[in-house]
Amino acid sequence: MNQAFRKKIKRNDQLAKWIITVGGMAIIFSVILILVLIAKVSLPLFLPPDSELYASNRLDNAAEVSAVAMDEYLETGYSIDASGLVSFFNIKDGSPLDHEQLSSDTGRQALVSVETFGRLQHALLWDDGSLTIEQVKFSPFFDEQNNNKRSIVHRIEQQAVFDSPTQGMPLRTLARIDEEGQQTRVDLFSANSLHVKILAVTESMFGDEEISEAEEQLEVIFKGDISALAISDDGKQLFAGSDQGELARWDLSDMDEIGLVESFQAFGDGRSITALNMVLGDISLAVGDETGQVTSWFPVRDETGNRTLTRIHDLSLHEGAVRSLARSSQDKTVISLGSQGLNFDHMTSERELLTLNPQDDIRIYQLTTRGDAIIALSDKGELLSWKLDIPHPEINFGTLFGKVWYEGYDKPVYAWQSSSASDDYEPKLSLSPLIFGTLKGTFYAMLFAVPLAIFGAIYTSQFARPRLRGIVKPTVEVMAAIPTVIIGFLAALWLAPLVERTLGSMFLSMILIPAALMVSILIWQAARKLEPLKRVERGFEFLAVVPVIIMAVAVASMLGPGMENLFFDGNLKQWLFSEMGVRYDPRNCIIIAFAMGFAVIPIIFTIAEDSLSNVPPNLKAASLALGASRWQTVWRVILPSASPGIFAGTMIGFGRAVGETMIVLMATGNTAIMDLSIFNGMRPLSANIAVEIPEAPVDGSLYRTLFLSAVILFIMTFIVNTVAEIVRQRLRAKYGRF
Amino acid sequence: MQKRQHKEMNKFWRVGEPMVWLTGAALSLTLLSAIVLIVVIMTNGLGVFWPSAIKELELKDGSRVYGQQMRIEETADKSGLRRQYKIANRDLYGLDFRWIDESQIVTETAPGEVMVLERIEHGDFYGTLQKIETDRIQQVPATTYALLSELERVNTQKEELTELEEKLNDDSYRMEQMRLTLLKYDYRKLAADDPKRIELLNEQEELNEDFGRLIKLQTNRVAAVRKAKAVFADADGREKEIVLADIFQVYEPNLMTTGEKALFYLHKLVELFVGEPRESNTEGGLFPAIFGTVMLIFVMSLFSFPLGVIAAVYLREYAKEGLLVRIVRIAVNNLAGIPSIVYGIFGLGFFIYGIGHSIDMLFFPERSPTPTFGTGGLLWASLTLALLTVPVVIVSTEEALGAIPREMREGSYALGATKFQTLYRVLLPMASPGIMTGLILAMARAAGEVAPLMITGVVKLAPALPIDGNFPFLHLDRKFMHLGFHIYDIGFQSHNVEAAKPMVFVTTLLLVLIVLLMSSVAIRLRNKMKKRYTFGTF
Amino acid sequence: MKQIQIDNPIIEVEDLRFYYGESRAIHGVDLKFPEKQVTALIGPSGCGKSTLLRCFNRMNDLIDISRVEGKVILDGESIYDKSTDVIELRRKVGMVFQKSNPFPKSIYENVIYGLRIAGEKDKAFLDERVENSLKGAALWDEVKDRLQDSALGLSGGQMQRLCIARAIAVNPSVILMDEPCSALDPKSTARVEELIGELRKDFTIIIVTHNMQQAARVSDFTAFLFEGDLIEFGVTKQLFVKPAKKQTEDYITGRFG
Repeated sequence: MNQAFRKKIKRNDQLAKWIITVGGMAIIFSVILILVLIAKVSLPLFLPPDSELYASNRLDNAAEVSAVAMDEYLETGYSIDASGLVSFFNIKDGSPLDHEQLSSDTGRQALVSVETFGRLQHALLWDDGSLTIEQVKFSPFFDEQNNNKRSIVHRIEQQAVFDSPTQGMPLRTLARIDEEGQQTRVDLFSANSLHVKILAVTESMFGDEEISEAEEQLEVIFKGDISALAISDDGKQLFAGSDQGELARWDLSDMDEIGLVESFQAFGDGRSITALNMVLGDISLAVGDETGQVTSWFPVRDETGNRTLTRIHDLSLHEGAVRSLARSSQDKTVISLGSQGLNFDHMTSERELLTLNPQDDIRIYQLTTRGDAIIALSDKGELLSWKLDIPHPEINFGTLFGKVWYEGYDKPVYAWQSSSASDDYEPKLSLSPLIFGTLKGTFYAMLFAVPLAIFGAIYTSQFARPRLRGIVKPTVEVMAAIPTVIIGFLAALWLAPLVERTLGSMFLSMILIPAALMVSILIWQAARKLEPLKRVERGFEFLAVVPVIIMAVAVASMLGPGMENLFFDGNLKQWLFSEMGVRYDPRNCIIIAFAMGFAVIPIIFTIAEDSLSNVPPNLKAASLALGASRWQTVWRVILPSASPGIFAGTMIGFGRAVGETMIVLMATGNTAIMDLSIFNGMRPLSANIAVEIPEAPVDGSLYRTLFLSAVILFIMTFIVNTVAEIVRQRLRAKYGRF
Repeated sequence: MQKRQHKEMNKFWRVGEPMVWLTGAALSLTLLSAIVLIVVIMTNGLGVFWPSAIKELELKDGSRVYGQQMRIEETADKSGLRRQYKIANRDLYGLDFRWIDESQIVTETAPGEVMVLERIEHGDFYGTLQKIETDRIQQVPATTYALLSELERVNTQKEELTELEEKLNDDSYRMEQMRLTLLKYDYRKLAADDPKRIELLNEQEELNEDFGRLIKLQTNRVAAVRKAKAVFADADGREKEIVLADIFQVYEPNLMTTGEKALFYLHKLVELFVGEPRESNTEGGLFPAIFGTVMLIFVMSLFSFPLGVIAAVYLREYAKEGLLVRIVRIAVNNLAGIPSIVYGIFGLGFFIYGIGHSIDMLFFPERSPTPTFGTGGLLWASLTLALLTVPVVIVSTEEALGAIPREMREGSYALGATKFQTLYRVLLPMASPGIMTGLILAMARAAGEVAPLMITGVVKLAPALPIDGNFPFLHLDRKFMHLGFHIYDIGFQSHNVEAAKPMVFVTTLLLVLIVLLMSSVAIRLRNKMKKRYTFGTF
Repeated sequence: MKQIQIDNPIIEVEDLRFYYGESRAIHGVDLKFPEKQVTALIGPSGCGKSTLLRCFNRMNDLIDISRVEGKVILDGESIYDKSTDVIELRRKVGMVFQKSNPFPKSIYENVIYGLRIAGEKDKAFLDERVENSLKGAALWDEVKDRLQDSALGLSGGQMQRLCIARAIAVNPSVILMDEPCSALDPKSTARVEELIGELRKDFTIIIVTHNMQQAARVSDFTAFLFEGDLIEFGVTKQLFVKPAKKQTEDYITGRFG
């Protein structure tokens, strides 16, 4: 052999070895990395929130300032001082930008109080009792003259003006303006004298504007004095708390029927309610009291059918009294100020997200519109801004797997409802009903598939003629290749209506088929004594029972309607509902059992059959030689040695059923309910992913939760498959390859 | 005597003969259910294109209706039978199907002159020809022959229109490319007077003009084509004017002989394979879906075949046997059992939002936020499926390599072959049936898999095929159609499920045939291989 | 042990020890194989004769856990040196296995496999080699009309002779035979034995056999191994007629093994 060629083939050999080794390892490990990558996407769900002090400046006239806020770009901040002067400044270095003087409609330039709500809207109460609502708006501006330099411009827009009340100066005032321009002002004058004024502008049929006005003294039946007030963003609901632990709720939605809805002792110990605020969505009320406890409340239907405010979630516990409550305009986060600083809590998950506790006491604070930063002014005039990183406040183990009392529900539930039309919706991301659905569907499918597959495998491997086996086995293997989308489609559009129509017959045939089989076996027992019949029997039993099964089904379908008439008032479904209280879904577990069972039978069958026919033939021969019948041989000798393989097959079938998507997507109702009834549908993890992921915003909570459910699916199948694989490897080592 | 019989019975149960029968029954049930499945698909799918007779029914209330009988079942109150008819004429009646109690039917005839019009919109029309209107001066008699020749004429005109449309499509594609190039120039801050930009702008101008001219031409031609019309009447004599250009096909089923019907059936079959879908996929052909499926399988195989084989060769021939390899082998077998939806979500998170997004950022930053590769497409779907099927290829390749007797390797080494030479001259050729089995099984799986595709780029109606005449000819970033998804989509997402059913069954039949064919070939190959080795070993 | 004088040894084995993992299969064997002679390795099952044989073309390298100590010298070079090219070695030392193992290719391709992998492409040369090798293996007449047929269609004896043809096609100096007839019927065995007699003219042959009659019939020298030790080595006729060691005598008279 010439040297050059030898070198060449050696080089090739080395090269191939290198490529194959590196490539092979890379492929295998990159495939295994799948889990890691999916898990990586879902991991941020559980990351702790984080805050970072972003800027810290001094404000000279701190004592005068009644409000601070900043834009959502974290560039410009502003303060409103007692004279109504709005001073804008650079957040980073505190350098002043410009000023704008606000004044009341009556020309006053002295502020009594400022209340901030919505998107940087400020209700300014002037010292004559008049009130204006001003909104500060920021927008980015690109200067085309100056190389598209970006800057943030701001302007102040007056949205509403309220006259001074006739009763004099209020102690406390709330004002709102809703999307249709309806203005609501609530004043608390001394001694529980609560006054509301509503101004609505409507367009009449002729196109001119009509102003309707309502003004009312509200009924207050507190023992104590009103100590806190809150009003919903649209001004339709008013809440008050007293210094003796009472809460009251007024409905302001109908101008003609303003009235007290309820007033009750919320805290038995008569603790003073020190702060109230609405949670985003205007359904829940956050309550802070003098013990430092923050709680959330919303109306729940009681036994009499009335909706009463009910204590739902217990959030932070401060050391001293709660001084004030604020909310995020992004999610259901509640911010509470106590002597130990600011606490961030998410209402649904009851997670204590963050605590901001600077050295000096915080006097006023304001979250940005996006909720990703907060600016606060301390007693000592320190102006601090923090960047907040709270990725998924609504997620924790409790909301993912536990029962949660969602807004508007009468009791805590497991629920999955990821989205709704409105932004301030409380997402319900409990995976429990989905896991339940997965297991339920799998359970019924296995109930159907396991006996059929294993018995079929026993017959094929032990009793059937070898030639038959050579046909049956590949046929079943080909069955495994039928796309599940087809099985699902037939189950939903052909089987489901069929079962619904012939429910009685179906149940009847479940009884009739075994009965007919028994009878036919007995008859055969007598018939087989005849010589010609004796010879056809062995190895062909499964063909002989076909007509029996077909006849049983035919008889059942004939008798079914009659049976329904006789026992179930002519309609089994109706009867189930009225007598048993069971609702019948057309796409239910029976359908799933058939369809998914059909999909997993070939898998279980193939593996079970392999392990059964790999039992060494001498075992079988020994048993038969001792005079055992063929069934006794199978039962006592073959099955015990093949049982690990059968177990492995069942496990792999289980794994397949757990992950099956198209069948359940098409043939279940996809309702996320937790009900064991065989007549209901379900919503399994896999179908849920398929339905929801196209709509899920990337990196949002839903997106990550769906990835988490994929991880759960992965782990479920991984465990089951690994157990099965190990069992199979053991078997392989024992009996050679199979 | 009594006692003896009793004893015999006892023995009979103990011996367990009934259990044997029970196991046999389980097998029969399994096979029967498979047969039922195939039969249901066959009976529903095969008959769809057969032009069955149109009956004219006279009902008790005096109304008449043309209809094609679909099935018969008992009425709700069990007093008699009712029949389902396809009555078509959606634009007149609102519904395609109608249940009629047999007791309501007075007479049933099959008039020869009833025509079935397959239309581009509103489904079929059943009716009789009343008159034909053209823009020409001479009158055209209202005969079937005249209608057919008019249709012929309209069709030639329509073909010209199609050519025009193709040109328009090309132009709009080029315009889009130019827009994107301009975007790129903008992004790169190319000066306004840069010669490249000016040239492009000029070109764009020209193209715009051309496009405008073509559009005008098209509008005129369309108007001309649409002038030819015909009036048809339904059984009740309600007339409907139908533009000939909207008619896809006309036939008179009641006059056709069996041979003609068979020809027609074949014709429809051909249309199924090469035609475009119509009426939100419930009519017409499956060409884009078949093409998409084939492309998907092809691109997938390009990835999963070499990757799977290399991984298997590594595991079997190069890796040192030990705990690690055992674990890897378990993991690989395990991966074959991971739910496909998990692969899908991985494809979405890793390929589309990970790699695809990065490609967009790197190469097409000017198009952002419109994604190019950062959205579902053929490439990502194929890669996802490749991942899903790689374990199948690995397992069967490994099995095939493992089944080769050691003597083969020794024989080759003893003659002075290197490992690599042994591999590619002896082992791989010997393992090739096994590798093929794996590949075919993988392909069959890919053909039937839908769930992961749904989140990685399959669509109900793709605007363009992944291959076309525009550079670079192969557009792997495009969305595509797929037979399996087609079934899900028209079976579950269409508005008119009843009207969509025939098409679903046809698609199902096609898919079942493809998949069963592929997997039976694979299984035959595997069994053959098994036999050969067992024969050789002992 | 009495050493017989080998004048022109082609393979010299010096203190060869072979390990499977921890267990030692061959405990220090010293042997010299004469050129162009047939040497038979005999001994009971598991005595290490096949292992010893496989040390001569480093076939044992394929077993991950194996280890070799001592020396095997072929043509004056130690084959376990780091500098030894295994590929070159295996071309010099051909091998025929217990079970015939033709590749699932045509007869022609089987014979020229060794040449093909060495990059030989000259058609005329290959044709000539095929003919010569098949003639050398006494198979030419039987297969000359169906060279392109699959080798798997041959009978057992033909397959084994094909493997011999394949081995001699690369023109080795030594041919190792690992019980080449154990899977063959008596008639085929006779033909292979006859062939071995022919081959000794051109090649050194080392044959492992179970069958003492066969060893007596075909070999010039015989080595008797027992439990990993070389018990006796000598001229075949002498060893069978007048063994020097009791163990040898016991074995050849059939008391054990």
